[in-house]
Amino acid sequence: MLTGGIFLASVLMASGAFAEERSGNVYGLPPCVTTTGLQVDSIIKMIFWLTGVVFLLTQGTYIYYLIVYRRRPGVPAHYSHGNNTLEIIWTTAPTIVFLALAIYSNRVWEEIHRPAPDNALTIDVSSYQFGWQMRYPGISGKLAPMDVRKITPQNPFGTDPENPKTAQDVISTDLVIPVGRPIHVLLHSRDVIHSFYVPEFRLYQDCVPGRTIGWVWFQATQTGDFQLACNQLCGTGHYNMKAPIKIVSEEEFQKWLTPRQQKNAGVTPAPSSVPVAAPSPAKAASLTGPGTGNTL
Amino acid sequence: MSTSLTHDSIATVETHGSSHHDDHGHGKPGIMHYLWNTDHKMIALQFMWSAVFFLLFGGAMALAMRWQLAFPGHPIPVIGHLLPHSVVNDEGAIIPSGYNVLVTMHGTILVFFVAMPLLIGVFGNFLIPLKIGAGDMAFPALNELSYWLFALSGVLMLSSFWVPGGAPGTGWTAYAPLSSVAAYNQTPMGQTLWCAALFVNGLSSITGAVNYITTVITMRAPGMTMFRMPLPVWAIFLTAILLILAIPVLSAAAALIIFDLNFGTMFYRPSGYGQPLLWQHLFWFFGHPEVYILILPAMGLTSEILSVFSRKPVFGYKAMVWAMISIGFLGFIVWGHHMYVSGMNLTLSAAFSVSTMVIAVPSAIKTFNWMGTIWRGSIHYTVPMAFAVAFVSMFVIGGLSGIFMASTPVDLFVHHTYFIVAHFHYVLFGGSMFAIFAAIYFWFPKMSGRMFNNTLGWIHFWMTFVFFNLTFFPMHNLGLGGMMRRIADPTVYDCLKQLQPLNVVCTIGAMGLGLATLPFVWNIIWSMRNGPKAPANPWNSTTLEWTVSHPIPHGNFAVTPTVYHGPYEYSVPGLAKDFLPQNEKAPAHITLEAH
Repeated sequence: MLTGGIFLASVLMASGAFAEERSGNVYGLPPCVTTTGLQVDSIIKMIFWLTGVVFLLTQGTYIYYLIVYRRRPGVPAHYSHGNNTLEIIWTTAPTIVFLALAIYSNRVWEEIHRPAPDNALTIDVSSYQFGWQMRYPGISGKLAPMDVRKITPQNPFGTDPENPKTAQDVISTDLVIPVGRPIHVLLHSRDVIHSFYVPEFRLYQDCVPGRTIGWVWFQATQTGDFQLACNQLCGTGHYNMKAPIKIVSEEEFQKWLTPRQQKNAGVTPAPSSVPVAAPSPAKAASLTGPGTGNTL
Repeated sequence: MSTSLTHDSIATVETHGSSHHDDHGHGKPGIMHYLWNTDHKMIALQFMWSAVFFLLFGGAMALAMRWQLAFPGHPIPVIGHLLPHSVVNDEGAIIPSGYNVLVTMHGTILVFFVAMPLLIGVFGNFLIPLKIGAGDMAFPALNELSYWLFALSGVLMLSSFWVPGGAPGTGWTAYAPLSSVAAYNQTPMGQTLWCAALFVNGLSSITGAVNYITTVITMRAPGMTMFRMPLPVWAIFLTAILLILAIPVLSAAAALIIFDLNFGTMFYRPSGYGQPLLWQHLFWFFGHPEVYILILPAMGLTSEILSVFSRKPVFGYKAMVWAMISIGFLGFIVWGHHMYVSGMNLTLSAAFSVSTMVIAVPSAIKTFNWMGTIWRGSIHYTVPMAFAVAFVSMFVIGGLSGIFMASTPVDLFVHHTYFIVAHFHYVLFGGSMFAIFAAIYFWFPKMSGRMFNNTLGWIHFWMTFVFFNLTFFPMHNLGLGGMMRRIADPTVYDCLKQLQPLNVVCTIGAMGLGLATLPFVWNIIWSMRNGPKAPANPWNSTTLEWTVSHPIPHGNFAVTPTVYHGPYEYSVPGLAKDFLPQNEKAPAHITLEAH
């Protein structure tokens, strides 16, 4: 209790710095750079104060009892088997509080997971042992369609090699995103379960092989460099499975994306920058196993 | 009516049988006395010594992990070179795949080979017959078989270190398809042995549970109604029911991994119409009741110890029982809270968060009742009481941190961070292990006939209490700072580098916690043979086990006791002594309060 109390006190003192950005800050949360992350933070803060008060009240009372009711000669213990009124009170009160918390939490949960806005930029995020690849729309502004059942080592994104859009897609190892615009990520895995985790986004979502997780979107509120981490134990190289995230201005983003789109579309004569060779249709078909995933 | 009859006949048979099978009073017992013994008290000791071995082993692995997290890539001093090459490199520093092995085996061993055998194997076996006035378990041979299945599963688990590829590194949760596809995990043999070990371990739990349930239902002494049973018996009885319902699911799921790994099935592999999430649903359908399997017995043991040393009846005995029953029931409909962000349907996540919030209520009820139990008591501070008192505080911290993760949006951030590591160590170490320590000290006089060394006991308590909090409290901050669990080197992430001082603090705490265990182990080994002789009832307790003196014969009670009232009649006004044993009738002028 004592040690816990000291640490809690230090946390309480530092709680003013909760949302504050500060390097070397070992008490508060890391900076929050998405709109939905702010909603998560507000619930964390609310539960922090709620549980903090409950902790201090119950532990305070408990420690007081432990001191006051220590054995003293001539003072016998009080004979009591309990009190039903008290039982009803301390059953009902937590029930109301917890249910209210569940309802409030789930309203925020629904809000965070409402469908991505129409102006969202869709990026295909593909995870594998042990790295990440991002696929951006080509010059047409739309991602080439993919099918999770077609994901193979030769066709890591599960796209259709016959589709002209496929070659236009821009492939990147960095997640570059424009600030202020909703980003809709389609999460995929080529082998085991990985997870898309960015502490500064307050966002965790598993990438499940054989499926497209299509409900994750976010909107950055400031520019900066961050890291995408895998946070689901995925094998030997798990600890180092990361990718750079660059949040840049819309202008800089276009400066980054447009030349790549043009290059892939053959607007400027340059060799394709797509790192993965598209397999021949016959080979792709023979390697395509049956799957249960949903098709995009 | 038939209940008492069954009990009497079995007790008689066992008492007669004891003169043939046991060597009490006939000089030194042979080796078989320790290896194959159907006496529930001896089986409890078998479980205890095995679990203490695994505690030291699994704890040492935690220390190796803590070393790596505080000083990534630095060779482990002194013992680094002694560790196998599946874990360390030539310099004696932990390699990433070795770290994954440590993560996996630490979790698996502490859950299945330390906490479960200590709570259920030791105290289930030792206390149930003695507390309900029975001669032994309903099926004594099955009981010993349960221990040997446990021992076999331990051998299987440890043998995975020596097979090609080494022990598995897929976490104690062994998420498919990492665990179920050899190309992904690189340790198909180790993973198969891991699954086989859990399968056999499950058989041990199931045979034990069958025994506990049958014994409690059919072999209670005359007058021992269900609502006169001591709370540890209630807790372990309910736990046994959870075991019967939850363990087969894990066994089946583990068998499917064995099939996937070795026989070409694709239950968990999407390319063969399998479903990765199927494993998670099966695992957590077992895994969440498992959490309560590990905490219910601890709650029962603590309730009794708090009552004895406060010299007061347990506050709200019936509320305590109903709270445990509702925890047991609700425990089966909250598994999805491990899967809010697994790719499961989002509305389902919301539904599971409601049941998760509801299950916090019975835990709150129990906490309030523990506080009610010490309220206006006459608290006698002994080593077991200190651990029981600390249990309540640690459980409160673990319970409150659980509320964060029960909230779906918060889980979006703290899922799989060190926040969850802090949370479940507060519940499983601060909760279960503290209760285990309390219970071992409390029943040590009954188990060994001797008293433990008090000074060593207090050293153990204070070191454990201080270093436990020093180890695990900063992990809340690490988690809120964004540090992922199960990563071999946090310094590869820019945003985690600033948290490194906290990792060093946790590691210093863990080293202290490791040292704290030494006086405990020495104390029980030394005192078992050399401690001062214990009186039959050193704590002035009311329950039946304290009415028999050491050495307790096979068959326990010379005459089957009759029970007259509830278990916790302390400080009854008008009585000369401040406790009224269950087998003593209250004098005519005394009215006992209904409980």
